[in-house]
Amino acid sequence: MSRLILAGVLLALSVPALAGSFAGSSAGASSAGSSASSDSSSGDDKIVLQAREDAASFVASNGRIRGAQLEAALRHLRETDETARRASDMQLAQAILAR
Amino acid sequence: MVPRRPWGRRIGVALACALLGHAIPAFAVRVDPVGLDAAQVAATQALVDDILARLPRTWREGLPRDLVLAWRADLPHDVQGRRVGRQVLLDRTLLTDWQARDPASADDPRALAVRKTLVHELAHAYDRMQRNVLSADARLRDLAGWQRSVFRATGRRARNDFTDRSPDRYELTRPSEFVAVNLEHYVLDATYACRRPALHRFLAAHFGDPASDVACAPGLPFLEADAARGDATLLALDPARVYAVDYLLAEGNTQAMSRWGHSMLRLVVCAPGRPLGPDCRLDLSHHRVLSFRAFVGDVQISSWRGLTGSYPSRVFLLPLDQVIEEYTKIELRGLQSIPLRLRQDEIASLLERAAQLHWSYDGRYYFISNNCAVETWKLLHDGVPRLAEAPLASITPTGLLAKLAREGIADRNRLDDADEARRLGYYFEPASTRYDALFAVARDTLDLPQRDAQAWLALEPAERARWMPQADLKASAALLVLENAALRRQQLLLRDELKRRYLGRDVPADAAPAVQALKAWLGDTSFVSRPSELAPEGYGLPQSAERERIVVEARVRVDKLRDEDAVLRKDLERWLPEDQQEALRGIESNVETIGTRLRALAAAGAP
Repeated sequence: MSRLILAGVLLALSVPALAGSFAGSSAGASSAGSSASSDSSSGDDKIVLQAREDAASFVASNGRIRGAQLEAALRHLRETDETARRASDMQLAQAILAR
Repeated sequence: MVPRRPWGRRIGVALACALLGHAIPAFAVRVDPVGLDAAQVAATQALVDDILARLPRTWREGLPRDLVLAWRADLPHDVQGRRVGRQVLLDRTLLTDWQARDPASADDPRALAVRKTLVHELAHAYDRMQRNVLSADARLRDLAGWQRSVFRATGRRARNDFTDRSPDRYELTRPSEFVAVNLEHYVLDATYACRRPALHRFLAAHFGDPASDVACAPGLPFLEADAARGDATLLALDPARVYAVDYLLAEGNTQAMSRWGHSMLRLVVCAPGRPLGPDCRLDLSHHRVLSFRAFVGDVQISSWRGLTGSYPSRVFLLPLDQVIEEYTKIELRGLQSIPLRLRQDEIASLLERAAQLHWSYDGRYYFISNNCAVETWKLLHDGVPRLAEAPLASITPTGLLAKLAREGIADRNRLDDADEARRLGYYFEPASTRYDALFAVARDTLDLPQRDAQAWLALEPAERARWMPQADLKASAALLVLENAALRRQQLLLRDELKRRYLGRDVPADAAPAVQALKAWLGDTSFVSRPSELAPEGYGLPQSAERERIVVEARVRVDKLRDEDAVLRKDLERWLPEDQQEALRGIESNVETIGTRLRALAAAGAP
């Protein structure tokens, strides 16, 4: 059994909010779809990782779907990487998917 | 040895005070000499002088003119001091303690106990003389925790739920005792300004004292619950780094528990090094969310218990990214993030209040009268005095938002332009709103026979897998999002299955021990929302030494939870239906396949 589902099963009922989400939510947490483990990821990686689904939607929709997590990652890449400054949004979104 | 130079000491104190412009009228508190020898009279006078010199001038001058201090041996055994009319009666054994104190030591515990008792009684004397100027003050009662009821006619609630990390539980009996206990600390405890900063500021303003210059441990401590990492860590939140606070509304869905939505507060924390400003809005990974929830600690949620206040109501600090994941991607609910018009000092006092709640509050969750909307309203009410003036009380999340908007506190204009709202993080749409558009992209490229995303997701994982090797970049990107959706859906399904079949009322006999273990485990997660469990000593906001211990204790508990989690997982696994597990494995393999393909295709086209 994969790590994710059971983390999901248990976390859903437990750790943070998840335990007690009477009014809030009954959902669990998983980092579905991201191959990298978030345990060891640095702050930089985390921003890019969180943007992966937004980036996929952006690329698939030819830029029409543009979520805030992608926007945050684009800005972050341009702030920290010289070559990213010269790249277009679409190129950077692809770079995020290539990671 | 006790020095026998009381007069010299008296003059010394008087002189020191005179020099500071605080001459003490000799008549402020008279010593009743009956039954005392000369040394005892002198010691008592030294005590009076010692204390009066410490009191703010307003307090000293506001005392009744003819107070008399007398030592009594006949007070009830649990009473150390009492005021009867103009008489302050103190337990005689305290005099012995006072005479035996170590004058060289500034924090002799015996002397401190005596001082506290006298300050306590003089606090009552002042408050009463000034017509309960402190204990009847609305702001003081807000800060103390006798909170307003959401129903106007009910006034204030009779109970005070700020029971954790109290310096002395006696303070919770009534506001006048709260004032007396807190004034003990205000006068005698240098860390009071750090542990109860809002109360310290309130009292200092009342007495016209300068603000405290004590160096406190930096930042506001919060135990952060990070589900993605399965971790709980101590965070020191610096209010000066919080650019804005948004009202974060999770839109309702058809589930009974979430029909009315959920209200939270989003803290727009700036990334390190970024100047405070609108740019901080995109530092999403640094943003935090304050969310009030019932702590259930059980596998089943009972509506009846929710109605009758059986669950604790607690505030959780969560990473924003986790909240986005949970609501928009798992529960498929939208999140509206509405900026609140608050000044920087108001943000600071709001967060300070939140920290106070986090460490001290253990309220009860009531489905109607004390739910997330009511708790959020109370936090705004008690944390920002200006908002206490506005008619905001509401029992639903949408109702509270409507009132905040009507009062001009919440700025809903940001949602007007839907694209901009999504791009800049004022609105996080449910992931499901994208599914059909994304499916259309894949359908057009791959000539898929399915009509819509719904039909695509209903396929067996292996059938979807067939199409993946031919997908181009755009189609792969679309399929990745859809496969992730399938994964989350399957996880939810398995979880519900597990709850329904094995954790419900008719638990199979062989499952009982594991269910017991799971319940115990859930109970053990309590500390995440009640961090005072980690810090049994000290009161109010934990300071440096306590924080060090909290970090260690949190580590120990998280490690224990993880170990138990591994065991529980194995045990729960065998209860999941084989075909559902098979489906899950299929989806996971698909996610892997399409993820790898997308990586390769994107790498070819990336700069």
